[in-house]
This record gives sequence, C-alpha cells and structure tokens, in this order.
Amino acid sequence: MVTAFDYVPAIVLLPFVSFVVALFLGKNLPKKGAYGGIAATAGSLLLSIWVLFAVRGGGAHQETYWTWAEGVGSQPFTLEFGALIDPLSALMLVIVTLIATLVHVFSLGYMNDEGERDLPRYYAGLGLFTASMLGFVIADNLLMAFMFFELVGLCSFLLIGFHFREEGPPSAAKKAFLVTRFGDYFFLVGVVAVFATFGTAAFAGAESFPALAEGALAGNVDVWTPGGLDVMTWFTVVGLLVLGGVMGKSAQFPLHTWLPDAMEGPTPVSALIHAATMVAAGVYLVARMYGFYVLTPTTMGIIALVGGFTALFAATMGIVKEELKQVLAYSTISQYGYMMLALGSGGYVAAVFHLTTHAFFKALLFLGAGSVIIAMHHNENMWDMGGLKNKMPVTYWTFLAGSLALAGIFPFAGFWSKDEILYEALIHGLNEPLILVGYVFGLLAVPVTAFYTFRMVFLTFHGNARSETARNPEPVRWNVKGPLSVLGVLAAVTGVINMVPVQKVLGIEGIDYLHLWLNNHYGGIEGLSSHHYAEIGPYSSGTLFGGEVATVVAGAAVSLGLAVGGLLLAWKLYNVAEPVEHTDKLGGAKSLLYNNYYQDEFQVWLANRTRGVSGGADTFDQGVVDGVVNGVSSVSLVSGDRIKRIQTGVVGNYALLLTLSLTALLVVFALIGGWF
Amino acid sequence: MTDDEPGSSSRKPGLAAVALFGVLAAVVLGSASGFSDPAAGFPAGESIIHNIGYALFDIDLGGIPSEGFLAAFLIIAIALDVALDSAVYLAKQEDEGRIISALTDGGQDIVDGEVAGTTETDETDRGGDR
Amino acid sequence: MVPPEYYLLLSSGLFCIGLFGILTRRNALYFLMSVELMLNAANINLVAFSFYWGNLTGQTFALFAIALAAAEVAVGIGIILALYRNFGDVDVMQAATMRW
Repeated sequence: MVTAFDYVPAIVLLPFVSFVVALFLGKNLPKKGAYGGIAATAGSLLLSIWVLFAVRGGGAHQETYWTWAEGVGSQPFTLEFGALIDPLSALMLVIVTLIATLVHVFSLGYMNDEGERDLPRYYAGLGLFTASMLGFVIADNLLMAFMFFELVGLCSFLLIGFHFREEGPPSAAKKAFLVTRFGDYFFLVGVVAVFATFGTAAFAGAESFPALAEGALAGNVDVWTPGGLDVMTWFTVVGLLVLGGVMGKSAQFPLHTWLPDAMEGPTPVSALIHAATMVAAGVYLVARMYGFYVLTPTTMGIIALVGGFTALFAATMGIVKEELKQVLAYSTISQYGYMMLALGSGGYVAAVFHLTTHAFFKALLFLGAGSVIIAMHHNENMWDMGGLKNKMPVTYWTFLAGSLALAGIFPFAGFWSKDEILYEALIHGLNEPLILVGYVFGLLAVPVTAFYTFRMVFLTFHGNARSETARNPEPVRWNVKGPLSVLGVLAAVTGVINMVPVQKVLGIEGIDYLHLWLNNHYGGIEGLSSHHYAEIGPYSSGTLFGGEVATVVAGAAVSLGLAVGGLLLAWKLYNVAEPVEHTDKLGGAKSLLYNNYYQDEFQVWLANRTRGVSGGADTFDQGVVDGVVNGVSSVSLVSGDRIKRIQTGVVGNYALLLTLSLTALLVVFALIGGWF
Repeated sequence: MTDDEPGSSSRKPGLAAVALFGVLAAVVLGSASGFSDPAAGFPAGESIIHNIGYALFDIDLGGIPSEGFLAAFLIIAIALDVALDSAVYLAKQEDEGRIISALTDGGQDIVDGEVAGTTETDETDRGGDR
Repeated sequence: MVPPEYYLLLSSGLFCIGLFGILTRRNALYFLMSVELMLNAANINLVAFSFYWGNLTGQTFALFAIALAAAEVAVGIGIILALYRNFGDVDVMQAATMRW
C-alpha cells in the first residue's frame, strides 16, 4: 500500500527540481522561476502535511535509501542516506515547507515587482536552500545531517551575497560563511568522534549512538574512548564538539556576530533562512540528538547558560539599533537563545514549541519588515519612518500580531512558548543553580524584548511621518499581503497547540497537544520521545509556593508582568507624535551597545593575534601543497619540451626510428624466446 | 633529383636495414629446424589458376582446399575505385582559379573546364593544338 | 623441393632492400618503389606458405595484396603530386612542417 512515507524523498526532491529548473531555464520562464518554486514548495507542503497526518495516525518511519560507503574490517562503518520521520521531523517539515512557500509568494512582490535582476539565480538559491533544509530535517544519521548542514550554509552564503555588485553583501556573505564554518569545524570533528566512539551515527533505533551512549553509561556497552578517558568526560567532549556547529548556525554567543550582517541579503531570504529555518537547524540538531545530550549534565548546563546569556545579551543590543532588520536580527539571536535555554534545562517540548511559534512570528515580522521596506523604497532606518499605520493597515496589524507574539503578550503564540521555557527553567533551576542563572538571564530578557519590539513598532508605524517617502509610501500587492495574513493568523493562534498552563491551572486534560505529540502519544519511534528524555535526563523538578499550580501562575505572572512593563515603557517613550532618541541618554552605554559590545573588533583583534598561525598554514599551502602540484606539472612540461624534439617532421627519421625499434624488439623477443 | 648529387643523401641510415636483415636471417635460420616436414604441395593435375578463380567467386569446384573470397573480392573492388578517385582528387588541386590537373591537354591550363585564353584570343588563334 | 626457410630468407632480404631504399633515398618516387618491394616480400611469404600447406588461400591473398598495392600506388602518386605542388620538389626531407 502506498503511504505518505513513500513520498518522503519527493518532499526533498521537489524543491531541488525547482532549483535545477530555475538555474538552467529560469531566464525563459515567466516570473523567472518563481512559479516553479512556488509549485515545488507548495507540493512539498502538501506532502509534508500528509506525512504529518500519517504520523498523527500512529505512523513513524525510518528507511535507508542509499548506502554510499561500506567499510571493511572488524568494525565496519556504513555511511548512508536515509530518512527518519518521527513527530519532531514531521512537525519541522511542515514548518519549513510552509514558510518556504509563503516566502516564495512574498518574493514575487519583493523581488519581481521591484524589478530586481538575476532572478533565476535568486530562485535557484531559494530552491536549493529549501531542498537542503528539508534533507537536513529528514536526516536519519549525524553525517547526513552534517552534509546538509553544510549545504544550507552554502545557500545562506549565496543568498546573503545575492547583491554581489554592492559592497556590503559579499563581505557579509563571507563573514557568515567563515563564522559558521568555524563552528562547523568542531561539528565535523564531533561527527568523526561519534563514528570512532560508537561505530554508527544513526539517530534512532537500538543501535543508534544515543542508545549506545546510554548503554555505555549504564555499563552495558563497551565504547572506544581516546586514551582510556572516562566515558562521561568523553561524551561531554563529543557533545560540546557537535555543539560548536550548533552555536555557529543558531547564532549563539560568541559566534552570533554573523547574523546581523546577514541582513544584507534580500529580506525574504532573511525571513526564510536567517529567522525561521536555517538558524533553527542548530536547535533542531540538538533536539534531534537530545537523547545524547541529556546524558551529560555538564553539556546541558553549558547549553542552558549559553542560551540564557545569549537571550539577554542580544536583546540589549536590539534596544539601540536604528534599522528595522537589525532589530529583528538581534531579536532572532535572542529568541534562539531562549530555545537553547529550554533545551539545556530539560524543556525539550518547550524548545520545539518555541521553535514552531518563533518560526511563524519571526517570519511574519521579517516579511512585514520587507513590506515596509518596499513601501519606503529600501530605506530601512526607522527614524525616517513613522505614521505608516494608516497607510499600510494589513502590514500594520499583522506586524503588530507578530510583535505581540515576540514580546510574549497574552494570548499570542510567543507568550505560551516563552512562558513554558521559563517555567521549565524555573522548576528545574530550583534544584540546579546553573539552570537558575540561565532562568534569571531569560527572565531579564523578557522586558528588554518587549521594549525593543514596541520601540520598533512605534517608531515605524506610529507618530508622524518623518520623511517624504513615509508620507507617500509605495503600495504593496496581494503577494505581499497574502503571506502576511496567513502568518499573522498563525502568530496569533499557534499557542493553542500547547496550552499547558491552562491545563495545569484549570485541570482540563488533553489540550497539551504538542506534549502528547512529542511524547509519541500518536505515533513515533521508540527512544525518541520527550518522556524517554525526561527519564534519562539529569533534572528533577521543584515547585514554588507549595504547588505546581502556584508555580505556573507565579511564573506566568512574572514574565507577563515584565513583558507588559517593557511594552508600557516603550509606549511612554516612543508612542508620541515626534519621538526623540531616548537611547542617547544612555551615553557611553549606547555606543557600547550600538557597536555590539565591540564583538567584531574583538574578533578582528583575535584574528590579527593569530596571524602567525594562519601565515604558517598559508606558507605550508603555498610551499608544500602547491609546490608538489607545481613540481609534478613542471616535470611533465620540461620532459614534454625535451621529448618533442624527437618529432622532427622528417619522414626519414620516423622510418629510421621504426626500423631500429623493430630490430630491438625482435632481438629482445629472440633472446627471451630462445629463437637463435 | 637530390639523391644523385654526391653527399646530399646519407647511406648511414641504411645500416639499420642491414641490421634488421641480420636479425631476421638469424631468427629464420635458427628456427629452420621447425620445418622438418616436407612441403605438402599441390596435387598434380589440378590447375592452380582455375582453383584461384573458383576461390575468388566462392565456387566449390576445385580440388585444392581454399576459402571463399567473394566478399573480399567485392570490397577490394570498391577500395580500388575509391583509391583511383582519391588519386585523381589529390592530383587535381585548385590553385587561384586554375586547375593544375594531371589531365591537362598539351600543356594548356584549363580554366573552369574551358581552355585558358579562348576568350581573349582571336578566332584564328584557335585550332592548332586543340 | 626448396626448403621453406630459403623463401623466408629471400623475403626478408627483399624487405630489407626496400627498407634500405626508404632509409637512404630522399626522392618520393623512390619511396614508392621501395614500398612495392616490401609489399612483394610479404607476397613471397604468402605464396611460399600456400605451397607449403597445400592450401590456395595464401595465393589468393597475394592477389589481393597486389590489388591493394595498386590502390596504394594510386594514392601515393596523388600525394606526391600534392607534395610537388606545395614544396616545389619531391624531396620528402623538405616536407617537415607537420611537427610541433
């Protein structure tokens, strides 16, 4: 019988076909390949929804499509491509394909209607990115995940540098590529370490590396460790190595510096890649191999601490930015910090929940920003805007929905997910001081987030118009408003998929759908459930005020109160007819924040200090590697130059050579064969 | 030609041919003992020419064993035809409008199939070597 | 009966005489004649072994070799004509432009 799972490869291949078509035929197509991209991603979306319902109906799927390398020896590795469809990947498939489809539609308005050039290259990049991202999502082993992880990084590079004729984008693209590659370097070492330790990199099953690691810690399984290292220590090291790639891709401190610069790319690209999906790849990877991470409390603590710190750190920088997309970029970093905090503090479901809601509302905010940018003729400075509320109602109301979600205001999607993260961090933090520090960071970031979000909203849409373009903005068409509306509704209502606080306070059972979903309540693969993760996890829960309900209410009240406080402060300062730059009052702190805590300068300084190492590598490359290659070719060149002298062109010489050679050959044969 | 001028051509490369003959002769004489059987020869009373004719056309009449060569015969016929045509083609090369052909008549150049000079010369000049 | 090795000696002698001509002469026409000698050295072998085995295939084959020699001469003469046209001589040592 044909099931949805038979079509899993098609989900990945459809966007890939659109990439090939756009690349080779794009010039001759109407809208330069946009329709092909929309059709392919929409097809993938439908198939993904089908897969989602198949998982809802109790299914789960793991299949190896292609074994592309088989080892020999006593412990052979097999390297393979396969698909792993469980509740987590099914959900992620739907998120990625939905956002990709909407971004393709939006691109019609943002790229085609604006008369950009080289559109086939743009749509080819989007197609390849979507295909790679989906391939990453369905990956059933760490190596395949790594390969697609690199591919999405490449697509990100290509699309950030789309406007390569200008000065900024190529530089930003290089920076994004190099910084994420720095993290991926550790990831690669981690992949090799996983292979060396377990002999497999599969995510799921009894022979998967999380299962083997669990067995090794229980003393049931023997694994290789370098130099007889303690198993727990070695697993921590491996986990941290893989985490390097995660921190690069998900823009966690200190590898977050590339993401704000990545805003040089076209806005739909920022929405798809640098907000909703690719940046989520890091978080998704941790969730995918969560069964491995929960085994090592040290790694979990580091994840939580880095996440919480990044959430607060990035949020503070968002306060002073003047450009719309820069604010959103820092809020993206901050929100992914929350997800890492959730993962580190044992809130697997909370992290996936926030991943989902964030994908919707942050894609919405970026597309809304794109709409504003169209209207403002590509001027992104918020101080030139103002008063757009009445001129762009659709954009305003959807943007407002996204902002409320981002700020975590009841009852928008972001409130539920952020509240659950903070709740998980709180109850686990009560017994674990490190997690509690992460919780405090996260909690402090709440009012900051609300403040910069509404500073952005008020500066952009409220007050009086502060420039000529703001007084007469360019109208946007259906292809901009359509995706905004869809995402606006989703940003408002996605919270209902996981109403845990309501369930706990009011006692209504069965409305925590996402918990049931990720707990293999409907269908799933043994060992990949949130229940299993909680069992093997290091944390125990504590409560405040003598009860779970009280803890839930208190946590939600505190975070909502802080968010509303931040919102009201922004309201007071910026919701006026002629707002002034209150951030100037911060004095030196402002320039510190505005220059991103001099992170870039620090990294440049660091790069200059390590110039000796890279210079040595360069000398080695130029001298030894290139030297060997050049040496080999020069041998051929010189010997060819000498040997060509034989070819005199005089027929007599050829005849003489033939005769002499024949004679010599005959003599040799005669001597060997004994003819004489 | 140049060969006839003294010193224009070296006889030294010919030593290679002599050397080859030496090697070949040594090999032949060294292996002459392999031919211990006397030659089979052809049966008396059979016409060899007739038998070759039968072999060429795959006619099974002769008393001397042979193989059929009809296909080879036809192919060689075509090959000879091609060789003749290509020889004519190679010899007849166009050079600035004049065909320097092996088929010139009386040393006159042929221009586009016409004898050169027919257009300029008088009626009285015609004839002669035509 | 003449032993077969004498046929072989004769044919290799004829072949080497042809080769000697090719190696020492510069005139293209001499080349053609020398090549004829070498071809006929092969024919001697064909006929000799045809007699030795009592099978007519060798003789018939020699006929074909003669026909092919005729074709070869026809093409060779054409080439010599082209050579003469391009270099003003039939000296094969002068036609040395087909090299690096």
